[in-house]
Amino acid sequence: MYWYGEIGNLSIEPAVCEAQVRNTKTIPSVLCNWQDLKAAGLIKTREEYIQAVRAVTFSLAEKGIAVDLDKKDAALLQMVKTLDEMDNVINLLTERVIDWHAATTPGTSHKYTRSNGPRIVQKIAKSGSPSLKRVAREILSLSAVRTDLMKEVSREAVLVIPNMSALVGGLVAARLIARAGGLEATARLPGSSIQVIGAESALFSHIRTGSSSPKHGIIFQHRRVHNAGKEVRGKVARQLAAKLAIASRLDLYRGELDAEFVETANAKIDKIFGGES
Amino acid sequence: MIDIKGTLVSEGQGGVYNERMLGNYRVWDPYRSKLAALWYLDKTTTLDKDAVVLYLGAANGTTVSHVADYVESVYAVEFAPRPMEDLLVVSKKRKNIIPIYADATRPVLYASLLEPADLLYQDVAQPNQAGIAVKHLPFLKSGGRLILMLKTRSVDIRKSSDEVFADTCAELTAGGYVVEKTTWLNPYHQDHAAIVCRKP
Repeated sequence: MYWYGEIGNLSIEPAVCEAQVRNTKTIPSVLCNWQDLKAAGLIKTREEYIQAVRAVTFSLAEKGIAVDLDKKDAALLQMVKTLDEMDNVINLLTERVIDWHAATTPGTSHKYTRSNGPRIVQKIAKSGSPSLKRVAREILSLSAVRTDLMKEVSREAVLVIPNMSALVGGLVAARLIARAGGLEATARLPGSSIQVIGAESALFSHIRTGSSSPKHGIIFQHRRVHNAGKEVRGKVARQLAAKLAIASRLDLYRGELDAEFVETANAKIDKIFGGES
Repeated sequence: MIDIKGTLVSEGQGGVYNERMLGNYRVWDPYRSKLAALWYLDKTTTLDKDAVVLYLGAANGTTVSHVADYVESVYAVEFAPRPMEDLLVVSKKRKNIIPIYADATRPVLYASLLEPADLLYQDVAQPNQAGIAVKHLPFLKSGGRLILMLKTRSVDIRKSSDEVFADTCAELTAGGYVVEKTTWLNPYHQDHAAIVCRKP
């Protein structure tokens, strides 16, 4: 089958051709020949042939892109990436403003600059030189936006990836799929990969030089991993990652919360967290 | 290939990606494009005026636009939605590009669109780069050329570049290509090799 149909039944009607491209199941042993269409009188020149095939591929591409970008996780991915970018910006600016403040205020102790960043920024926003004050206020308002965005990411994640969110919370779940490159990409990963998403540098140094392997990547941000005792933390991470792999597939192919699965998975993870194996 | 005092250019309407112009000619930067880098290292690299090119891994269409300036028609395959949108914009101005939104690891999905190609140009950051080239052997004319831009880092991070390179050449030979010439793209691109093959 060619995009323009079989000999004897040729067409350059885009809708017909698109269906024919979609229905192709095998690679033809002889490829398209633009002379076929010329012989049938549907086109006169090679330019017209290219024009006709372009009409088909443009239409297929535009439809394909629209479908792929409309996937429900696309917006969530951008939100998480924006959130993490904002964290970066806020931290950098906070550091800078504290240094600036220390330089203009004699007697600022080192201990002071090392303590709680946001609180110092709040202080600077009230005192400090006029321009310094303005920058500090910008940081505070950016932080407020960040907090709102974080809540929205969690809310959105519960809708888009309900099972993963039920296991590790919306924010961590969203970060996981953002790092993996989307829900579909995550669902294709084995649990062992999900376990170390976000610990790539440690993983590759392990593969290259044989240093000890990372036990957890982004999932460390989940409380049951970072609060676990040192002896069981790796076990919790492993079990959690395995359940996340299943949850991601539920989310992709079913798209709704499976309460029974979540309950048994959480019970199992809690058991390991509590020290029973 | 057209060069102006040693600078590789192509003839066509400018403003595709803010490239530099020399008169009516568009400067083709070897640091951005692997094909341009290959020309600087091996001046026998040519693009024929009447050639049909199958281009896998078209990305944003910057190199594609230069190739299209030289040849008859380019079938440009790209898989990622964002770069594809850019490629469509480029293709709207250059009427000899046929943009195909598909995965190069599954040629059956676009096989019905393709004509026999004189040149298969492949620049995909995938683990099985040799496998993809072999899958596309049926789309090459007998005597047609394959230029494979091998990104050794994408194949296997655990192996050295030289090992990956040797494995790839062996797989291409086993798949029915005759490896003619290989060029490492230093200093323009790190860990990239150009493998030129011919279909017997």
